Amino acid sequence: MADYQIRHCERKLEGGIYTETYKALSTAEPCSFVNTPTRLTFPIHFSGGGPGESIVSIGDQVAKRTPIIRCHSGIIHVASRAGIVVDITDHAMTHPSGERSSCIVIEPDGSDTQESLNPLSWPFDANTLRDRAIEAGVLGLSGASFPSLKRWIDGTTTLIINGAECEPYITADDTLMQIDTHSMIRGAYLLSQALDIKTIVIGIENNKPEALTAIEGVLKQYHSNCFFDIVLLDPKYPSGSERQLVWLTLGIEIPTGSRSVETGVIVHNPGTLIDLSRAIDGKSITDRLVTLTGQALARPRNVIAPIGTPITDLIEAAGTDPELLDSITVGGPMMGFAITDFAAGITKTTNCLLARSVELQPESPCIRCGACATVCPVRLQPQLMLFALKGGALNHAIHEGLTDCVECAACDTVCPSHIPLAEWFRLGWFQTKEISAKRLRSSEARERFETRNLRLKRIAAEQDLKRLTRKAKSSEALEKARKAREAAS
Amino acid sequence: MIKRPAYPPRNTAIVMRSVLISLIPGIVAMTIFFGPGVLFNLATSIFTAVATEALCISLRGRALMPRLRDLSAALTGVLIALSLPQAAPWWLIVAASGSSIILGKHLYGGLGQNPVNPAMLGYALMLISAPVAMTTFWINPLTTPSISAAWAAYVGQANDALTGATMLDLYRTQFLSLTAIEASDHPLFTKAHLGLIYGYEWVALSYLLGGLWLIYQRVITWHTPVGLLATLIVISAFFSIDPDTATPVWVHLIAGAGIFAAFFILTDPVSGATSPRGRLWFAICVGVLTYSMRTYGQYPDAIAFSVLLMNFTAPMIDHYTRPRIMGHESSVKGSGGR
Repeated sequence: MADYQIRHCERKLEGGIYTETYKALSTAEPCSFVNTPTRLTFPIHFSGGGPGESIVSIGDQVAKRTPIIRCHSGIIHVASRAGIVVDITDHAMTHPSGERSSCIVIEPDGSDTQESLNPLSWPFDANTLRDRAIEAGVLGLSGASFPSLKRWIDGTTTLIINGAECEPYITADDTLMQIDTHSMIRGAYLLSQALDIKTIVIGIENNKPEALTAIEGVLKQYHSNCFFDIVLLDPKYPSGSERQLVWLTLGIEIPTGSRSVETGVIVHNPGTLIDLSRAIDGKSITDRLVTLTGQALARPRNVIAPIGTPITDLIEAAGTDPELLDSITVGGPMMGFAITDFAAGITKTTNCLLARSVELQPESPCIRCGACATVCPVRLQPQLMLFALKGGALNHAIHEGLTDCVECAACDTVCPSHIPLAEWFRLGWFQTKEISAKRLRSSEARERFETRNLRLKRIAAEQDLKRLTRKAKSSEALEKARKAREAAS
Repeated sequence: MIKRPAYPPRNTAIVMRSVLISLIPGIVAMTIFFGPGVLFNLATSIFTAVATEALCISLRGRALMPRLRDLSAALTGVLIALSLPQAAPWWLIVAASGSSIILGKHLYGGLGQNPVNPAMLGYALMLISAPVAMTTFWINPLTTPSISAAWAAYVGQANDALTGATMLDLYRTQFLSLTAIEASDHPLFTKAHLGLIYGYEWVALSYLLGGLWLIYQRVITWHTPVGLLATLIVISAFFSIDPDTATPVWVHLIAGAGIFAAFFILTDPVSGATSPRGRLWFAICVGVLTYSMRTYGQYPDAIAFSVLLMNFTAPMIDHYTRPRIMGHESSVKGSGGR
């Protein structure tokens, strides 16, 4: 039996909101598999892990788990089902931009051929584990899906399993924690062993009793030398945001501008740990659990679908005709984004498809009522940031704390003027990044320019020298000739 | 009992409507004690404000309905009508209400853009340009006028018998040479009215009731009213050590616009400070200024000028009262954006 304790969180989230969770919608029916779709699409640059390149060509026969995309960051994505690469073309994809980009299109042939990697056997070190995660395409499933390897550096003392799925509607992590509890605990444990971590904190909201029971059940039979610290959280949005979760469970405020890993804490979602556990067994990531939910779906539920499955197929699987829907939200109602082209395939980060009709309230001017500031989990003054951003004073907005915004959109929810505040802050954040990138580019350009000038100067100097020597030589020769002539005469 | 909502209203129109509803007890009390002129003023002021708002919006080429529906102009109209003398002639109301919408709001870009409180701007403008009307047309609560008398005042034939100086004004002018005991012989303090004592405190209490309801509904926070009223109490109590020269605490609290302003004027979110701590400081400063101006200044009541002055400092207060952002070692102070 593993050493564990269950405790109630003693800290209270400042700000944040209690909302109707609508979680029961998707948990009424049990989680199920979907039929293999007729087409699977894999965006080459937007599958997670950054831009990459295709390592298959049209007409290739691929098996399940045959690598098809290699990202420049090293991450490898595999075919989620066996089939034929029928096309590599511009295709709709699940991305906030709504843009099309080149995708690999695979038509599954229904065969069961598959490849796998060699299973890792304990003991292995952090590097081996890291390389395996890259090879198997395990992404840190939280948020921006940057490769989880970045977080794995030495000096981490605590692993937090983020079981606080605080966004309304989504039950993907909750379900995973119930159906794959053992894999999750195993992934967390092996990761902790490789990184020499002694404490594993499980942050879970107290509205998930089934998941808690499942975790307890596994821990009772699990042999480990780690201490499992289960923290029951108040179901207040956004407790599951990384910074908030670290503070709630450990009381550590992650300093502004740094990541949790720099304070010795790594945070992973249940899904990441389960994927990691599979990767250790040699299984690259081919499927993921997606919550299909919303009042517009006839049979909302959780499904396990191959990555690349078109959204149309999933809407149909939820018993609704995709023709009836205008748009669907990918992710939760708070932080998700809408897409309208349902031909797009799901990616490794698609945790929820939400179909509901939202009454869009007309926006009116900000009256500085400050309601947004009272719900901000990082104590920002969104009304002042908005004022700065609308006036184009990006520097001022940064001064007000723009870069500390966690984009949880709690402010949007309470704004009486229905201003899309989080959208503004996201835009401001992009502009900030653009400016720093531009600055970097311009300093690079300056450097290039200066080196070029130096090189030109050097070349000129060399040529001068050459000319001088040549001149000197020729005058020397002339002199010699003159002397010779003189001597001769 | 209506359940207390967990969050402020999620619609600007509901915010404004709540404020309007919470003013009803105050309006009723005003009408009882100061006569039906209050209602004439209200009707005129609301009509002028909404009409001016509509005119401005259409001149600016904006969509009319979304802005009119948010009730902000109507609220400005109500606030200004309640601030002006009850026996004021109609032109004073029209001028105050119209100028507060034009000069106080739309010259700066409409809702949400005004640096100062529109109602107080209209009030101050009238106080400067029509000082006689603004200081003498106050109804004496002992002589509540009939409808016909109120109408006469409304059309510009004010009856001197009905009006008089306000209590704050009395303390500044007539009571200066009197001791506290002599001052308490004034008919305003001795004559009972409608079985109650005198009008001012019932009006103040009605506003207080509405204000508390606003706090309960989370439309406003406690910071502003507590800041202003506590400051007025503390300062006037301190100076009341000598009761013969000082204006008593209760006069400061209820005789002027104290409670009305604390709950309905200073709480204008657009022109005030925006963080809770900022609001507290804003209200405290208004309290200090109000006391100083009431005691040493030219005008009997000073809420309008204090609020206008402090409105201009609101951005600075916002800068210096920022809470510490999570992950920062200390709060970011001062102005940003070089």
